[in-house]
Amino acid sequence: MSVALQVSNVRAKYGDLEILTGVDIDVPFGEVHVLMGPNGSGKSTLCHVLMGKSEYEATGSALVGGTEVMGLPVDERARAGLFEAFQYPVEVPGVSLNDLIDEMGEVRNDAGFADRVADMADSLDMDRFLERSVNGDLSGGEKKRSEMFQLAVASPKVAILDEIDSGLDIDAVREVAGLVEQLRSPDLGVLIITHYSRILRYMKPDKIHVMVGGKVVRTGGPEIAAELEASGYVDLQNGDATVPAPEVATPFDV
Amino acid sequence: MKTLDSQAAAAAGAADSPWRADRRATAVEYYEKLDMPSPSEEVWRYVDLDFALDDYQITDASGDAHELGVGIAASLPQTAGSLLIVDGHVVDAESGSSGAVFGSLRGIMGDQPDLLAPYVGARIPADLDKFAAAHAAFGSDGAALVVPRGVVVEEPFFIDVQAATSGTVAFPHIALAAEESSQASVVVRYRSDDDIDALVVPQLELSVAANANLKVTVVQHWGRKTRSIGYANAVVGRDGNVHLGEAGVGALFSRLYLNVDLEGDGSSANIVGAYFGDESQTLDYRYFMHHAGLNTDSDMFLKGAVQDESLSVFTGMIRIDEGAQKTNAYQTNRNLILSDGASAQSVPNLEILANDVRCGHGSTMGPLDDEQRYYLMSRGLDELRSNRLLVHGFFNEALTKFPEPAIAEVVASWIDAKYRAAQEAGRVK
Ligand SMILES: Nc1ncnc2c1ncn2[C@@H]1O[C@H](COP(=O)(O)OP(=O)(O)OP(=O)(O)O)[C@@H](O)[C@H]1O
Ligand SMILES: [Mg+2]
Repeated sequence: MSVALQVSNVRAKYGDLEILTGVDIDVPFGEVHVLMGPNGSGKSTLCHVLMGKSEYEATGSALVGGTEVMGLPVDERARAGLFEAFQYPVEVPGVSLNDLIDEMGEVRNDAGFADRVADMADSLDMDRFLERSVNGDLSGGEKKRSEMFQLAVASPKVAILDEIDSGLDIDAVREVAGLVEQLRSPDLGVLIITHYSRILRYMKPDKIHVMVGGKVVRTGGPEIAAELEASGYVDLQNGDATVPAPEVATPFDV
Repeated sequence: MKTLDSQAAAAAGAADSPWRADRRATAVEYYEKLDMPSPSEEVWRYVDLDFALDDYQITDASGDAHELGVGIAASLPQTAGSLLIVDGHVVDAESGSSGAVFGSLRGIMGDQPDLLAPYVGARIPADLDKFAAAHAAFGSDGAALVVPRGVVVEEPFFIDVQAATSGTVAFPHIALAAEESSQASVVVRYRSDDDIDALVVPQLELSVAANANLKVTVVQHWGRKTRSIGYANAVVGRDGNVHLGEAGVGALFSRLYLNVDLEGDGSSANIVGAYFGDESQTLDYRYFMHHAGLNTDSDMFLKGAVQDESLSVFTGMIRIDEGAQKTNAYQTNRNLILSDGASAQSVPNLEILANDVRCGHGSTMGPLDDEQRYYLMSRGLDELRSNRLLVHGFFNEALTKFPEPAIAEVVASWIDAKYRAAQEAGRVK
């Protein structure tokens, strides 16, 4: 099976601060992977660096469906098939979700777009949000729902969901997990960033990656979620000499 | 063509009722006495007047204007009455059958000599400055609306004010009065072609009696060589409301001096603005909100953008009288600076003499937001498209508060087009 997302030796700095120290992750098409790691280990930074946010100085390679996206402008990465649901989606005052969806449709040459919008608006019960500002005055859970809606209509090759389950009630977590499983297809690779194994109860990830100190220090099957739940990340940071002592990543001190 | 002198004042006053003739005589004296305003006066700070009133003359006849409502008529399919003023002369009036008195100032003065005495030239002092004096001295015709007690008019009245002759100065006067428990909506549109080098000194007087509601939408869409020095005043009686939206899209130099007197207890005002300057346009707003009654509410909400070498000015003053307890007053002015060469001034002021009030003001200034742009681009929108959507959204927040949604939509499309044209010419990103 070919690879949806192939990240090789991605490093990133913010000013003098080294945040990503060489990230390697492969997510094949058809699979759902999970990325875990302590607060501040660089998970969200990886998202932004892959998306092309300009404030980071980044090197390395990231292939989305075989297309190198590093060095491309943000919008071209999106149109190459990368979609990210952000941990903290920003409010865009005065721009309705409808306006945004219309523009998303215009920049995509995608005959199925309008139908997906209609279907997903219906199944995610989005109608009442369409006329409201993007992420404006939405509850935490509603913002996540709006991100999932946009993901579903964008129909990307790679979806990265940064803490899509944070702040969600049990029913909403189950709903998001169900939607991920529903979106699972041979044309999509999914990477879910989470702190909680509870979302894993409702879906079947193929692999779990653990990031510490700006790199992936461990990759394994779904079973390692339970291990982490029991022992935390401390062993991974201190026990393994190959893992650099985390300067920027201090676990659990937020 | 007439220069601005006592002969011109006499000609302008040919149809005056006695009360207006008296006011005119005093105004002529002020006009002769007053100097051109200077930027050393606080209300004229930040702007340079690079012309003189004497550079312009009054025309005896109106020039060739466009038909009534050109460019905006589609958004006003139904009106309760309409009126076209060209170069200061009323050339077309459709008074309608709304139950309100609507028509040309001179026509109404002819029919009912005293009806307009409380509403015309009563509230904007002729000695406010030289332009106000000139208006009262040389202004002749205009539009007037008096909505009688209890009458509710659903469809908007439309007043189209055009300048069609270069080298002319015009003083159109618009007086709108809503008597007790009445309601009406009025759209005023100012326009000229881009090559018309004219000066217009309009005045808008709004009187809202007890329990009445008056909505007024002003669309300033002057051509690129036209200058406008405008005045507006609103007085609101007990439990009355005035809702005024002003959109500033055109002109070389456009100024609006607005004063609102919330006199009646429980009276309120919603003042909203959206303005967008480009090239060398100057857009200048001086807004005064005066709370005199008990329990009065006001909300001023203005959004402005400038690009190229444009300058915008907003100075806002909320004054709460000593006896005006339980006042709620808010003032917001947000500015987008879209080019390095453009600038905006935003000066909110408060003068609070009562102690039991809620009052707030906010002013912001800056470029488009990077985080918002990043978000839109992450959804696949290129940078130019993202910026256009952000500019649209910025103004949408103000335009959705305008009294007439259909007019606000046209204004939005003009603003979008103005920004897009600058993008296409490579002047902004
Ligand atoms: N724009 C930035 N400016 C300054 N520091 C930054 C910036 N972006 C990331 N960092 C720093 O890089 C480190 C990694 O942050 P990041 O947000 O990627 O962590 P995370 O793994 O997503 O954490 P969490 O689990 O809390 O969401 C942190 O120490 C953070 O403060
Ligand atoms: Mg994070």
